[in-house]
Amino acid sequence: MTKRSTGVWRLISLGIALAFLAAPAPAAESKIETFVAGLNFDHFSKTVVWDGDTASSRLRASLVSARADLGFGKGLTLSLSAGFSLAGFGGLAFETLPITLEYDASSLKGLVLGAELEALLHKFGKFEIKAAGRFVSSFGMSKTWPLEGFAVEGQAKGRLNWMEASAGPRLAYLLSDKFVPYLEVNARWLRADFRMEETLEDLHGLETKRSNGDLSFSVALGGDVRASERVTIKAKAGFAPYPGGTDALISIGLFYMF
Amino acid sequence: MNVPARRSAKAIPALLVLLFVGLGTTDAGWIRRTKLVDRLSQRSARTLRVERPTLRRGSRYAADRVLIRFKPYVADAYAQGLLRSYGFSSVRLIPQIGVYCVRTSHGFSVTETLAMLRRNGDIEQARPDYRARLTDTPNDTFFVSYQYNLRNRGGILDISDDIRPQMTSGADIKATPAWDAALGDPGVVIAVLDSGVDRTHPDLAAKVISPGHDFANDDDDATDDNWHGTHVAGVAAADTNNAQGIAGVARNCTILPVKVAGADGMGFYSWIIDGLIWATDQGAAVINLSMGGDFDDPFLEDACKYAFDRGVVVVASAGNEFGGSVVYPAAYDSYVLAVAATDYDDLPADFSSSGPQVDVAAPGVYILGPVPQWYAGEGNLPYLFASGTSQAAPHVSGMAALIKSLKPELRPADIMRIIRYTADDVNASVDCGRDDHIGYGRINMERALVPYILN
Repeated sequence: MTKRSTGVWRLISLGIALAFLAAPAPAAESKIETFVAGLNFDHFSKTVVWDGDTASSRLRASLVSARADLGFGKGLTLSLSAGFSLAGFGGLAFETLPITLEYDASSLKGLVLGAELEALLHKFGKFEIKAAGRFVSSFGMSKTWPLEGFAVEGQAKGRLNWMEASAGPRLAYLLSDKFVPYLEVNARWLRADFRMEETLEDLHGLETKRSNGDLSFSVALGGDVRASERVTIKAKAGFAPYPGGTDALISIGLFYMF
Repeated sequence: MNVPARRSAKAIPALLVLLFVGLGTTDAGWIRRTKLVDRLSQRSARTLRVERPTLRRGSRYAADRVLIRFKPYVADAYAQGLLRSYGFSSVRLIPQIGVYCVRTSHGFSVTETLAMLRRNGDIEQARPDYRARLTDTPNDTFFVSYQYNLRNRGGILDISDDIRPQMTSGADIKATPAWDAALGDPGVVIAVLDSGVDRTHPDLAAKVISPGHDFANDDDDATDDNWHGTHVAGVAAADTNNAQGIAGVARNCTILPVKVAGADGMGFYSWIIDGLIWATDQGAAVINLSMGGDFDDPFLEDACKYAFDRGVVVVASAGNEFGGSVVYPAAYDSYVLAVAATDYDDLPADFSSSGPQVDVAAPGVYILGPVPQWYAGEGNLPYLFASGTSQAAPHVSGMAALIKSLKPELRPADIMRIIRYTADDVNASVDCGRDDHIGYGRINMERALVPYILN
């Protein structure tokens, strides 16, 4: 792991630790006060530079997940999610394979697991500051493409895994019971590996593109809309600038309080 | 270069076209047929000159533009409104052909945009804005008209009044698109184990890295006192884009001359063995052997293995005896690529040896290459057409050198597989799949070197 990514990990770990420390330990009280469950859709793009490479590629990922929010009181919430992801990279060439492969295909499927911890840090007037830490991991499913036009049978098999950790403060304005807008700033770290295997009869090649990600910061505006006593809509949109461009993220979810 | 005046001047000494039947170490020695033809110089170099384009490989289409045509019943106003509703930042109509050129929305790739547009029932066609390139031809004088082996656009191969075969477009090794991916690394050396190389030839002077070694006379001067080695070296890696002569397959790779045949074209296995080991130790990446003998010999095989084990791709001509077996060392299947010959129509050459050891084929009929000036004769251009698997093999050596340049980490066995598996099965209608005449087929440099698009 590089010095830089170690630093990012420390920052994100600190954010998650802060979220834990900011509230009384839930295990001690071991009381789940609220239970909210729903469906969430996330889409984000993240430009990455592959290790040992100078070219960048943009990961575009869409996630649909079932999510459960466990509220432990005093502003501490643990969210767990599981679902499917579709992710792909643009502009990616596997150049060390015997036959260079240029990836220009549709997104690859994956199973996604995530956890998020949110803790209240401070409340003053109609404002409250929370710390939030999030970890999402996508376990890619293999996809196979036939390699056509060769003198022998061939195929390429690709699998994309990625994980993202993010942490940062969230400033919410308690406008009303119905609507709570917020501003969120996050430090983000993404690790991805894209494994491509090439087979032409007895000619084999394997190349794995890896990225430990660079530190990036995102700014997002979001809002929790209480549609009814038990139904809440959560939406968020933001951007993450990087030298030479901007990545984007959106998230929308529909939740039911039990 | 001497440029004679008229084609009809048959009294002027003509350039030789040599049709090879064999270069070998057999008792028969070199066997060749010769044929008189008109001078090459009657095709003025000036008339063939082309400017060197500079465009090199990039992505296949614009990253932020697509072209769209609506169905005939869709009104322009509606079409433009619809395109604006997609969020395209720029919409431009090319009214003469009713096509819109739009800039894709931020955050959406061309693939995504096309997928989205193609779902719309009002849209007839949505296509990427493909990249075009200037015709990427080297400016070597004879490239366009005579080097069908590298790029065959059909028409007549106008060698002389009595040799004017009709060519089939595309019956070539696809050199020009492959050069978009790789021109070769000067550090990748092709050792030409042959009759030596004329280091003073204008198409080779800049490419030969050292005087080489002469195992026929046991000295350090591998000057060609025949002509064969110079011709073979030129096919593999002649100085290219130098506004004269021919283009070589491995344009930027270099040549190490190793003389293992005497002026009479004869050589002994011991010379070849020494040459293989010497070239390997000198750091050659590829060894071309446009020669062979009839006798299996474990010592010769060991020398091939020595080179192979040290990362050298060994390429050898299969032999020029139609119906005969593949000669040695080409027949050492594990360590050597055996190359048969095809012609300007992608047909197997009528002189090419065959057998289970044949790996691939390459053009080997009427191949233009350099020869020493003294051999061509005073007043003649130092080039001639020659035929044989001797001429086919250096195409494969050049290709191997380009692959090695692009992917230096590949081992010889993998490079050999790439060359085999990317070949065009040009005789599939007669003999589908690998066969004993042309192996896996005629080599296809484009398929081996240009990225395969996964979509």
